[in-house]
Amino acid sequence: MRYQDVWIVVPAFNEASVIGDVVADIRSVFDHVVLVDDGSKDNTADIALHAGAHVVPHPVNLGQGAAIQTGVEYARSQPGAQVFATFDADGQHRLKDVVRMIDRLSTDDVDLVVGTRFAEPTVSKPPLLKRIILRVAALVSPSSRQLGLTDAHNGLRVFNKKVADRLNITMSGMSHASEFITLAVENGWRVAEEPVEILYTEYSKSKGQPLLNGVNIVFDGLLRGRLSR
Amino acid sequence: MNWIQALLILSIIVLLVYLLRSRTSARTKAWVKVGGVLFVIAAVYAILRPNDTTVVANWLGVARGADLMEYALIIAFVFTTLSTYMRFKDLELKYARLARAVALQGVRVPEEQV
Repeated sequence: MRYQDVWIVVPAFNEASVIGDVVADIRSVFDHVVLVDDGSKDNTADIALHAGAHVVPHPVNLGQGAAIQTGVEYARSQPGAQVFATFDADGQHRLKDVVRMIDRLSTDDVDLVVGTRFAEPTVSKPPLLKRIILRVAALVSPSSRQLGLTDAHNGLRVFNKKVADRLNITMSGMSHASEFITLAVENGWRVAEEPVEILYTEYSKSKGQPLLNGVNIVFDGLLRGRLSR
Repeated sequence: MNWIQALLILSIIVLLVYLLRSRTSARTKAWVKVGGVLFVIAAVYAILRPNDTTVVANWLGVARGADLMEYALIIAFVFTTLSTYMRFKDLELKYARLARAVALQGVRVPEEQV
């Protein structure tokens, strides 16, 4: 099987109804999947384990940022792991996008490839209001602007060992996406953007974060530098 | 002396006893205690001679001593709120790291991959 050096990190919270298919789908291409069960109340962990994922169970719910950090810490300690991807558990990402991003990582000689919903030509259409807010979020983030990124909060990312080893996400909740980009600027990682398609199913919409959360994300970003690490 | 003055002074003294009895011994805590004692002295004085705060207020361009006290209270409250917020964030991070360490102890690997 190809991609023996790839680990797919899936943060999950109460996704029992879809996680089996999502993990099985990933496993049809990639051998190594680590699912971080972020304190789910349902049997997400058992289903994912049965579908062939390594399961790291948070004893309490911490948030998606913390789950990604946990998953990456587990994956980077595995022998032979060289390439890492974050992949949302609700089935909104497409595997062929991940494969393309992994190829991009080696051909373009970059450290981090982030998915974008806004590259031309547009391949997927988030709902209008969401589109506007996501664009504004990318514009007001100094780090995103500096790197010329168009989509600040895409759950799909592919990165190499260098990034995984240095990764230290301190924003446990949904502010981790902007923190990821800020870390890229601070550490001088080379970043590229890849157009991806998001499948806005009814399920993924119902699981998505409310748009009002954008206020928290901006606020957390302002305070981030003042926390002791 | 008014009843309210007696009550206020009593509560300030309770606060002082509480402050001095706390057993944390770091040097920064000592400064907090010194500040606390100074605060108690100033508070008892202001309770016994409330009109003197108006004199200080007038120096600063505020009409009444009570208004000056309120401004000081608002600033102190905002400061306390912010420092509490930062402290909570700090604790959340430590809590997340602790939970992560626990999680990494309890990894489950599918049988066919062991």
